Amino acid sequence: MNLSNLSIFGLASDRMSWLSARQRVTSENVANASTPNYQSKDITDFATLLDAQSAPATGLAATHPKHITGTAGPAPGIREVPDPAAHSTRLDGNTVNLEDQAIRSAEISDQYRLAAQLYRKGYELLTLSVTGR
Amino acid sequence: MDSLSSIAKIAASGMTAQTARLRVISENIANADSTGTTPGADAFRRKTISFSELVDRENGASLVEVDRIGRDQSPFRLEFNPSHPAADETGYVKSPNIDPIIEMTNMREASRNYEANMNMFEAGRRMRGQMLDLLK
Repeated sequence: MNLSNLSIFGLASDRMSWLSARQRVTSENVANASTPNYQSKDITDFATLLDAQSAPATGLAATHPKHITGTAGPAPGIREVPDPAAHSTRLDGNTVNLEDQAIRSAEISDQYRLAAQLYRKGYELLTLSVTGR
Repeated sequence: MDSLSSIAKIAASGMTAQTARLRVISENIANADSTGTTPGADAFRRKTISFSELVDRENGASLVEVDRIGRDQSPFRLEFNPSHPAADETGYVKSPNIDPIIEMTNMREASRNYEANMNMFEAGRRMRGQMLDLLK
């Protein structure tokens, strides 16, 4: 039995990988908060990730170990995009706003906890149905 | 390398860069009174630092690195002090082009940025911990 096929586990695990990819981009923004001309980044929303999974896979298939698959992103359906909320207020052309990034990072942490707890609850539910305890 | 592990690396590169910036600032402040020793000699020139984006070849993450450490070419402050060993024939001494206020604000910004990177590292570590807690 593959747990990912049950909707709750698949969804929670997708959500967690999406959130960790978003946290990574946020951390890149913070690290580059003083880099001249750096443009703040974000990733495509969660719905895009879910749509990408229902759509058939595109691109080249690697049918041999020596095939080059190209540089894939963190996961299919997750792409880096310019931060829609970013605007330049500084002379050095940098568009990172540290306050925005701090709030975003806290939101991501909370949502990650939610997804992790959901996963755990689903697992407990499964245990309950099997053992009755 | 998964996203959560690379957060630590990204935050570390940010902290390293901000530390280098703080080092340059402290060099400037330490040398705020370093004049020349011979008549008419140049004083200490203020150092500047700039960063650039560095793409990690391993996982495509945007790290940050120190681009270059330069010298501020703005003119020296002139002080009238004929008894100073570095005074020129008119009695003026060249003092470093350092403004303590600029160095202070720069220092504040560097330490805030360092803190922000530290928080990102903490957030990434917490998320990793929650993920590992699922194994319990």
